[in-house]
Amino acid sequence: MIVFKTFWNVVKKYKGTVILYTVLLLVFGFLNMSTKDTQTDFVNSRPDIFIINKDKDGLLTKNLISYLGENSNRKEIKEEEDSINDALFYRDINFVIYIPEDYSKEVMEGSNPEIEIKSTGDYQASLASRMLERYLQIQTIYKKKETDEENLIEAINHNLKTSAKVEIASSLDTTKTTNSSRYFNFASYSIMAVVIFVVCLVMSSFKEKNTKKRIIISSMNYKEHNRKLLLASFVYSSIAWLLFILLGAILLKDILFTTRGLIYMLNAYLFTFCSLTIALLISTLITDKNAVSGIVNVIALGSSFLCGAFVPSEWLPKGVLQIAHALPAYWYINSNDLLKTIEVINRESLKPILINSLVLIIFSVLYIILNNIISKYKQKIG
Amino acid sequence: MLWHNFKYSLKVLLKNKILLFWTFAFPIILGIFFHMAFSDIESSEKLDVIKIAIINNEEFDRDMFSKEAFKMLSEEEKIFSITYTDIEEAKELLKEEKITGYLLFEEGVNITVNRSGINETVLRYVVDEISSNKEIMTEFYKEGNSQMNISELKGNIKDISKENLSYTMIEYYTLIAMSALYGGILSMFITNYKLANKNAVGKRTSISPAHKGGLLLGSLLASYLVQVVGLSLLFIFTIFCLHVDYGNNLPFMILLGLIGSLAGLSLGVAVATLIKANENTKTGILIAITMLGCFLSGMMGITMKYQIDKTIPLLNKINPANMITDGFYALYYYEGLNRFLMNIISLLAFSLVMLLLSYRGLRRQKYDSI
Repeated sequence: MIVFKTFWNVVKKYKGTVILYTVLLLVFGFLNMSTKDTQTDFVNSRPDIFIINKDKDGLLTKNLISYLGENSNRKEIKEEEDSINDALFYRDINFVIYIPEDYSKEVMEGSNPEIEIKSTGDYQASLASRMLERYLQIQTIYKKKETDEENLIEAINHNLKTSAKVEIASSLDTTKTTNSSRYFNFASYSIMAVVIFVVCLVMSSFKEKNTKKRIIISSMNYKEHNRKLLLASFVYSSIAWLLFILLGAILLKDILFTTRGLIYMLNAYLFTFCSLTIALLISTLITDKNAVSGIVNVIALGSSFLCGAFVPSEWLPKGVLQIAHALPAYWYINSNDLLKTIEVINRESLKPILINSLVLIIFSVLYIILNNIISKYKQKIG
Repeated sequence: MLWHNFKYSLKVLLKNKILLFWTFAFPIILGIFFHMAFSDIESSEKLDVIKIAIINNEEFDRDMFSKEAFKMLSEEEKIFSITYTDIEEAKELLKEEKITGYLLFEEGVNITVNRSGINETVLRYVVDEISSNKEIMTEFYKEGNSQMNISELKGNIKDISKENLSYTMIEYYTLIAMSALYGGILSMFITNYKLANKNAVGKRTSISPAHKGGLLLGSLLASYLVQVVGLSLLFIFTIFCLHVDYGNNLPFMILLGLIGSLAGLSLGVAVATLIKANENTKTGILIAITMLGCFLSGMMGITMKYQIDKTIPLLNKINPANMITDGFYALYYYEGLNRFLMNIISLLAFSLVMLLLSYRGLRRQKYDSI
């Protein structure tokens, strides 16, 4: 019990740092969830556009704007060039259309006035551009035979009505699951950082020269001593896991209380355990306490970036993903991504997730064995 | 005295491996991670060729107009890659997600897709476009106007988009900001060295007859030098290995780097003198301030910077990480220098305030004999 208690005493000693890191990670996780991130959201296929209209009274212009309004999201931003440029750069809008003065009048007089656009060049912008091109083409064609503005508008709108029937074969609403997958993917960074950081700090306190000497001469068997430390760090990482689940429950609400949610949680637990085994291995390897935060950051950030915790894995270069296979976080994140799209949960659809879990367990066992070998070797030297 | 102190401070700093890791190695490692993660992101946002299937039935076979149109879209415009097949195989392909959707010509066109996404929307638009062109052609044909070539009639659109729209650059700018502010760890470390309540060397220097300002100046110059060397390495690495674009104005880029480092230095001194805590906590606080600043200026997702700039502009106006990031953004994306100079002035003001506060905290620190 003494060893177990001492573990927590050391944690208490570092409570400032621990709280700081945990709060920081939680804040990041929370803010990350609550900002609307247009880049990862495939569901929204209405491009965000901004229209600067200098032809306020033109009927043709009004019709063009109402057509664009029906098929895209018209954003409200300040009508200043700087704001528009910023919004384009940060992809708040994808497409800007400048309608010149007297546009409708000039079209009716037979000319083809210039419309200026600004675009981000991504797929949303391509869609907006297609929309505008189609409309203008129809307008130009019908202008050949209609001379009255209202008739022209009617002809355009009649033609635009032709629309194909679209059936959706799959029925899963992926918005909610996308959110929870994103949360759990991001949590991989937080869990790794919090677990490795604290466990390494505490373990290295037990390894300080004088403390170690005292521990060795004590009547307690070293195996017993190690077991108690393991138990304490296991309890600590379980608490960390629980914390992230609680936060998840607040952010994701009902989705966590389904079978799918349960699998998310179990997957996260396996990953927490794997992080713990990594932490124990690192704490055996390092000698300098001050090096802990450097190592933690490189390992946690590295595996998060390479495995798709921050950037969705489908956008990572193939070579990077190949490297990522060697890291446990890849398998954890892969399960989360699979959970996002699985429609029916049954034995067949869970198979790849089970394989991922198995890989995580194998990683953990590997780290435990390595840890044992290295610590035995170190003991002999000491 | 200043030179003497400068020399020894430099030695102390260069011997500390942990400090060197944070200021030299860590930003470069992070830069490599960024590069690995972000190098494909922007190209994957461009519209790819969309894979679709068309059911090759009688109605489609008869529809010469659509047949020609789809042929053109796949061969010349390269929007689609089309598999002509029967309905069973098309369903199978869709289920395996090998195609975005399939088209069935049966009393008009029917599209079947898996979900409502961007490729699906493009597919629908293009199909609608073909149908409406077909309608126009039939209409004009009926009126005896069959000579018209509709592909030549177009609106007059002029693209005036700015260049330099690569938003991942912001990530690298926050990296520079982080590195500049992390330099504060160096100045904090070296200032602590001069504090009598922190360590033995501090006690010794405090009782020496040397002027305190001179002592501190020498140490800070040394930490500034180390910091600037670290930042230069990062610049060289990001420009030549990661191909980061900082705009075309090299002198201004260097100026921003130098002043950014100064802001980091002053932040470090301020944390060292104003916060009474042990060194670990001080380092923790400095890292937390830096990371929070970088987070708000877009390091963990550039949307954050935009949202803060738009909704709580004041927060980013006093955030040194954002001043540095925004300065580079201004050099990269804006033609005029106003925005850039605004950031330079803010950074100078920030440094000045931090240094003045530290000066007030440091002067007249005297210890009674007990």
